[in-house]
Amino acid sequence: MFLIKGMPIRLLQGRTNELQTHSNADDQVLTDPRMASGMQEKQYTPSLLSFFIYNPKFGPREGEEEKKILFYHPCDVEKNEKIRNVGLCEAIVQFTRTFCPTKPAKSLHTQKNRQFFHEPEGNFWMVMVVRNPMVEKPSKDGKPPTIEYQEEEILDTVYGAVLQQCYSMYKLFNGTFIRAFEAGGVELLTQKLEKFFYRYIQTLHLQSCDLLDVFGGISFFPLDKMTYLKIQCFVNRVEESLNLVKYTAFLYNDQLIWSGLEQDDMRILYKYLTTSLFPRHTEPELAGRDSPLRPEVTGNLLHYGRFLTGPANLKDPDAKFRFPRIFVNTEDNYEELHLIVYKAMSAAVCFMVNASVELTREFCEQLDALVGPQLTLLASDICEQYNINKRISGPEKEPQFKFIYFNHMNLAEKSTIHMRKTASVSLTSVHPDLMKILGDINSDFARVDADEEIIVKAMTDYWVVGKKSDQRELYVILNQKNANLIEVNEEVKRLCATQFNNIFFLD
Amino acid sequence: MAADVHSKGVTWDTPNGNLAPVEHLPNSRSESPTPGLVEGTEPGASQERAMFAHTQSFEDLTADVELTGSHHSEVEEVEEEQQGGLEGGVEGGVEGEGGGGEDAAVVEPKPEVQAVVREKEEDVTSETWRSHKKHVFVLSEAGKPIYTRYGSEEALSSTMGVMMALVSFVEADKNVILSIHADGFRVVFLRKSPLVLVCVSRSGQSDGELWRELHYVYYQILSLLTLPQLQRVFQQRQSFDLRRLLSGSERVTAGLLRLLEMDAGLMLNATMSLPLCSTTRNVVCTSLQAASSKNLVFSVLLAGSRLVALIRKKEQHLHHTDLHLLSNLAASSSSFRQGEGWTPVCLPKFNASGFFHAHISYLEQASDLCLILVSTDREDFFNLSDCKQRFLDRLKKRNVYQALQEALHTPTYPVSQVGIPELWHFVYKSKSSGLYTSPELPVPYRTEEEQERLMELYRYLHSRLHHPTRPLRSIYRCTNTENLLGWSTSGFELYLCFSPLATKALAMSAVTKLLKWIRKEEDRLFILNSLTY
Repeated sequence: MFLIKGMPIRLLQGRTNELQTHSNADDQVLTDPRMASGMQEKQYTPSLLSFFIYNPKFGPREGEEEKKILFYHPCDVEKNEKIRNVGLCEAIVQFTRTFCPTKPAKSLHTQKNRQFFHEPEGNFWMVMVVRNPMVEKPSKDGKPPTIEYQEEEILDTVYGAVLQQCYSMYKLFNGTFIRAFEAGGVELLTQKLEKFFYRYIQTLHLQSCDLLDVFGGISFFPLDKMTYLKIQCFVNRVEESLNLVKYTAFLYNDQLIWSGLEQDDMRILYKYLTTSLFPRHTEPELAGRDSPLRPEVTGNLLHYGRFLTGPANLKDPDAKFRFPRIFVNTEDNYEELHLIVYKAMSAAVCFMVNASVELTREFCEQLDALVGPQLTLLASDICEQYNINKRISGPEKEPQFKFIYFNHMNLAEKSTIHMRKTASVSLTSVHPDLMKILGDINSDFARVDADEEIIVKAMTDYWVVGKKSDQRELYVILNQKNANLIEVNEEVKRLCATQFNNIFFLD
Repeated sequence: MAADVHSKGVTWDTPNGNLAPVEHLPNSRSESPTPGLVEGTEPGASQERAMFAHTQSFEDLTADVELTGSHHSEVEEVEEEQQGGLEGGVEGGVEGEGGGGEDAAVVEPKPEVQAVVREKEEDVTSETWRSHKKHVFVLSEAGKPIYTRYGSEEALSSTMGVMMALVSFVEADKNVILSIHADGFRVVFLRKSPLVLVCVSRSGQSDGELWRELHYVYYQILSLLTLPQLQRVFQQRQSFDLRRLLSGSERVTAGLLRLLEMDAGLMLNATMSLPLCSTTRNVVCTSLQAASSKNLVFSVLLAGSRLVALIRKKEQHLHHTDLHLLSNLAASSSSFRQGEGWTPVCLPKFNASGFFHAHISYLEQASDLCLILVSTDREDFFNLSDCKQRFLDRLKKRNVYQALQEALHTPTYPVSQVGIPELWHFVYKSKSSGLYTSPELPVPYRTEEEQERLMELYRYLHSRLHHPTRPLRSIYRCTNTENLLGWSTSGFELYLCFSPLATKALAMSAVTKLLKWIRKEEDRLFILNSLTY
């Protein structure tokens, strides 16, 4: 069965660091088809109730509580209500310190909602409150409908990861909280938070978060050695000729091939590129020739290269040469960089230049002239190689299984459960309950360091297999209802042999 | 589920409508057990009627206790009188003739009291106190401490005040606080007006399991007071110090918490029976059946925590929770060994609103055989004492007393009897009889620490199989230290623990072999006949 669900789109307006959003209805109502006749039960998916950031040190005295609050969504909540809710979070955190001073609360479960706490920097707390999914059942005699909250349906690990991602994304474009505070006091900080989160949290699609948000991994493009070397050569050549470029990242088909950034920085940049920047630019390309969405042809017939950030058209005399700024290595060097994203066909390259340098028309023209033709050639090379490899590996059959693979060491992730993402929807090919079982197994693995394997048979007779070995995790869903444990084991062994022939999994 | 707000009032005997015990004829038992077994035909299924109120897993524990059951009118009449007496006791303030007072007199702390005292004296700001695996707190709605497992209630009054503040803060929004999760531990709240129970656990157990344990503590308190009395004292004075009525029961609660960690029966909602050859068991059962008295409701013969025989009044079923509470009560006090004990006790799952009267005694002072006779009449002591004597005389006359004593020497069996290589341990529960069997703990699990770890593994399998919204048919878990298999069907639940060398193929064949073995041994391992007076 195929379920369509909203895919998180993070539409970040590159040039101004501002976020553009497709505002979506807060409550997405799905009517359960089984109940559609007669009863008319309404199923509500989890949704964001509130999101706030506070620092208890900013208003320690009674009567000054409001000063603690740096950001609060929704903003139209009454002041006392805000103070109350922040107060509860403080009390919960303080209470849990009674039992462990160093590891306070991460989440609060209540019947109606779940709250997630995250302290990304000392004394700065981010809180996300998610309403539990619920079923509204109409009752007879004109009474108000009864509401049943499904508090077991939300996974802590998934939404905890979503909250951490919120911070990482903020930090990527704004730097740390404390730096902003040091530079311009509470005023600057609240301004920055307001500007970023006001739009960003509207792009959180909480109903479609799953295990992949926990991993926050990077999909790598599989490539033969020769083509990989060609790309490496290209990167080195460009860095040599344009010595302003400090870091480079190379992607093909939304998948990463090469990156000079630290892993954690690349992880969040990758998230931004694949869920926000690229989808925003592929939609016009997919649109028909005469569609108004189609960008103006740059007029350069020598290559297909163009800037995704910065100037849309180099020939335009009014073109602005401003690029989004990003912050990397915030732990040690704290670097601020210009982010130049340049694309030719399916190949995209990110060039990062120190922010203290002013980028000029000359630099951009030089880059366009140097990179455009080479990248166009390289993109068609990769495409060709890819097609040859695909032909060798034989025609694709619909396999009996779906899997998710994640490697903690290089953040590599691969999923055949998630269909290819388009700009506005992502498809998962399995039932949400099975996705939650994957999440359960993942949290069981997280509790122990050692290698483990868990095989379960769900009530729907699907088999779910989880394997963890030396920092790698593999989850397989098998649709062989009559198989027994031994056959399932054999099937997974075959899968490991064909897909992951170098990886040893505990047997 | 923890909240009063949305738990449905389920009557005591049918926790789940379609699970009512089915009567089966012996000839409907299938020869070769398969997973397709219908409930009631699995190995160990009781042949005639079920002796327990039927329970599937822990779900029904969260159901509210029935206050005004119309099922046992006869029993209740007597109980009403008893409540009158109790009220007097409470109003009098100190130990009068009331339940609390009498109980305190019976449960005299003797040797183990040292340990309890030591735990009570612990410094609640110390690292040792903080790092306990499982804290349990009980407080009143006024935020007054009633019980803490470690440290003293006085020292923790501010902590408990905070707990109550959190509970009422969330309730102010017409919401219910369920739990708080942190790295490495969680805090679980259970609201049972007029009480609040809180558990702080580092054991990795799920919220659902911790709620089950807190329910047990709640029922333990009810068993000493009854629900109406508990509500009455707080209605009269919100700031009432309940410790006055519970004094002397700390060791019973401590014993219960220990049991929750070590005994699979409380997790499974089942009881283990003492392996006994069927002829001996039959004589014991019929002898106990014959030793009846007008007001007797239940006669229970226990060997430690193992059930030897259970006779009940027609149409009345004992609930596992009540049996575990009774057996824990008997085990928690050494005074029953010295002579015959007589104590009022409420069986909260049977009827939370009234007291029964339990005659508790050991067949011999040095023996592990404990006889519990539950009556509706508070003046029944001498009648029941006579019942016990008649039972003993009959056992001796029919020459089974010796056989019974010998069976006590082998209260369990080694797993090697089953003859499955690499199988270290297992737990098998027959759902229709509510009984389970399990071999003795083998070498790797001899220490208390390891035993607890094995129980944790079983609890993990159990909680995954019985997940409230995503239950599973089976789960296989392979770790560096053992291979585990959990399997739940409509007829039975099975938990197996293999050495890490076992393969999946071996595990699969082991299941079939084990079920055959249990079928062969079911006469000895289970109580197949449920007798009434």
